[in-house]
Amino acid sequence: MSDRKDVSRRSFIQLVGGVGASLALGSFSSLACAAVDASLGDKTAKKKGVVFTPNALVCVDPDGGVTVTIVCPDAGQGSRTVCAMLVAEELDVDWHAVKVVQAPANQALYGYEGIGGSNTVKSQFGNLRKVGAATRLMLVAAAAKTWNVDPDTLKTEKGHVFASDGKKKLAYGELTAVAAAMPVPATDAVALKKAEDFKIIGKATTRVDNPDVVTGRAIYGLDVKVPGMVYAVIARTPAFGASVKGFDDSAARRVPGVIEVLQVPSGVAVVAQNTWAAISGRKVLKVDWDLGPNADNDSAKILETMKAAIVPHGDMPAGAKVIEATFDFPYLSHATMEPMNAVADVQDDHCTVWTGSQQPTSAHDGVVRQLGLQPEQVTLNVMLLGGGFGRRLSNEYVTDAVNVSKAIKKPVKVMWTREDDMRHDNYRPACHADLKGAVDASGNPVGWSHQTITPDGGGRRGGGAGSFGGTPDFHYNIPGKTMRGARVAGGVPTGAWRSVEHTIQSVANECFIDELAHAAGKDPFEFRKALLDSDRLRNVLETAAEKSGWGTALPKGRGRGIACFAGYGSYAAHVIELSVEGKKINLHRAVCVVDCGTAVNPKGVEAQMQGACTDGLSTALRAAITIDKGGVVEGSWPDFQWMTLDAMPKVEVYIIPSAESPGGMGEPGYPSAPAAVANAVFAASGKRVRKFPIKVEELV
Amino acid sequence: MAQFRINVNGTEKSVEAVPDMPLLWVLRDLLDLTGSKYGCGIGACGACTVMLDGAEAQSCQVPVSTVGNKKVITIEGLSKDGNHPLQKAWIEHDVPQCGYCQAGQVMAAAALLHKNPHPTEAEIEDVFGGHICRCGTYQRIRDAVMSVAEVKR
Repeated sequence: MSDRKDVSRRSFIQLVGGVGASLALGSFSSLACAAVDASLGDKTAKKKGVVFTPNALVCVDPDGGVTVTIVCPDAGQGSRTVCAMLVAEELDVDWHAVKVVQAPANQALYGYEGIGGSNTVKSQFGNLRKVGAATRLMLVAAAAKTWNVDPDTLKTEKGHVFASDGKKKLAYGELTAVAAAMPVPATDAVALKKAEDFKIIGKATTRVDNPDVVTGRAIYGLDVKVPGMVYAVIARTPAFGASVKGFDDSAARRVPGVIEVLQVPSGVAVVAQNTWAAISGRKVLKVDWDLGPNADNDSAKILETMKAAIVPHGDMPAGAKVIEATFDFPYLSHATMEPMNAVADVQDDHCTVWTGSQQPTSAHDGVVRQLGLQPEQVTLNVMLLGGGFGRRLSNEYVTDAVNVSKAIKKPVKVMWTREDDMRHDNYRPACHADLKGAVDASGNPVGWSHQTITPDGGGRRGGGAGSFGGTPDFHYNIPGKTMRGARVAGGVPTGAWRSVEHTIQSVANECFIDELAHAAGKDPFEFRKALLDSDRLRNVLETAAEKSGWGTALPKGRGRGIACFAGYGSYAAHVIELSVEGKKINLHRAVCVVDCGTAVNPKGVEAQMQGACTDGLSTALRAAITIDKGGVVEGSWPDFQWMTLDAMPKVEVYIIPSAESPGGMGEPGYPSAPAAVANAVFAASGKRVRKFPIKVEELV
Repeated sequence: MAQFRINVNGTEKSVEAVPDMPLLWVLRDLLDLTGSKYGCGIGACGACTVMLDGAEAQSCQVPVSTVGNKKVITIEGLSKDGNHPLQKAWIEHDVPQCGYCQAGQVMAAAALLHKNPHPTEAEIEDVFGGHICRCGTYQRIRDAVMSVAEVKR
């Protein structure tokens, strides 16, 4: 847990610092817009005149158009929409006048750029509103100067400043030249709106990128093409820790379109005039591998190592009814729809990169170190991310592209094929969980001991992997509860995967609390409700029960399972309704409830809950990564199965109204979903889950 | 290498490629039509879906030499200005999250409705069983398709 918390804290502080500095130093601002326009080709310029650029993140055009520079990469969490909403709210501008551009990596200008830990809205809620409010104050001051009146008598609405009579008005676009000469307000002197005055925050808003996405105009990292660019794929190690002994590229070089074959740190790169030629060349490339220290590693051995690290549980109170259970979780791949990729153009004194990274600042720093350049000699453009889920916290694909471009002295796109991506991930680690608990004669819980063992990274760990091996947050008042997490050697790279350690610890706890309720002869919803130490968590649990019709009769063979989770500043609960038919599990209904404090964009919140629930169903019932001969067996979708529309239940999302400050939304919707599936399987079949993904024949 | 003439989005295009180059890479690398996405290269995810003479096709599984006279429609050519009813529904229902698979999802829906303007919910499920959305936008895909197809629930 510790390393991810540190990163998000640092990014928060630095972003505040960065925005503060640019508010104070107006000279940075025009540079900001120039940098953004040049790198991303924004074509917002319309009328001639002064573009008002009060800070690094906002430009107001002479025709009143507002361009917001988005510092948070958009991996599908909707940052480009929600960040612009926060600025537009305080700027009092019509939402349709707002355009967004994506910031390139530039720590001096924007502070630390990175998304992870569900931090987009959490970290930006204060900052971006202040950016909007400060910009508005300068436009008001400009109008006051123009009319020679007291600025306190003026009001703003929909991109206009209104005089005290409510009739005389000036459009923001008419004020840009005067506003540009106004003093920049001190950040701490900028007042923010009260929640009851919000016009944009809290309003369900569709994504700014939708029109580009549905017409094919949206540009992801893999869509980038620059003049003179060539294409490469890399033959990658069959086992983690393997290395190249030698290779025979004679056949590969005969493939039409293949330009070059060369060894790079991650394997052997085949460079070609197009992607297909590179793939075709790699097919006939012969590499002699030294399989390295993990060559005989497999999932069964890793499981035995994990089991051996379990220590005896403490004693449970004498006379209590004691139950025990173990839960095994597989490795999981992130399997983003867009596989890893980057375009790099390395020149003697400069390098330009185009990629979709969750961590632009660390990607940029990595290239600076890799090439021994100064920060200003590296330009890293942030493209749309075709999925993140934690995978793009690390930037090996950027390293690949820089290595190949440096060697061949050409701009190059390095693409990881689906198989490369699935077999060279930083995986959600496998886990062996061992739990023991006790209830007294009255059905009160009197003991709880939790152990989760996870295998560590084998030399490469993606961002956030340090969270594993810690102890879980636990919100049930149970006397004498103990939590233990430990890591063992695993020989497989691991990393953060949507809700990270909670994907195992909280799931195991939510399955086992259900078993303890059953041992106590109590309803699992009522049992949880009586033990929870958080009012907000209890409220989402109760809402999920109410919306799902908890306790009402179901057709024969159907069951409901319930589970809840608190984390990332938010609270979530799920009720899953399913039936078990022979070896098949049929999903009928998913009720998802979230309290994320202020829901800045309710459509975005709903989308995150739908997505996290789908992940929960997929990992509960289908997906697993298996290790054999030191590498990953599964290579593509037929092996690593995910939910598809035909198997989905109806997914209902309920958002608890709240004026609390916003919590995170990317991750909190995951952990209680797979746990609710496991608990529903018990309700439907009378049998317990001991292993994920759930197979009916493995129930006990 | 050979010369192939193919009809893409109503325009005749001439490309030089090896005969086994999948249509997907012809579109993306040779014709700069990057709306069709690479997701697996084995026809298992649907991200590369286009229409071939109006029928759904996984362009990663179509060698350029087999296209012949069939008319290729990609997401870029589905409508002139992004106003196909499905494109409008996708925006209105706010379907995309990361958006990477959505061109394929829209094209699959377009091919289905081209053949069968009023499919049943089961027929919709049958088509989308072959399309993965890793962000889990399935509920909204279903809602968007059904709104255009005017399916009674």
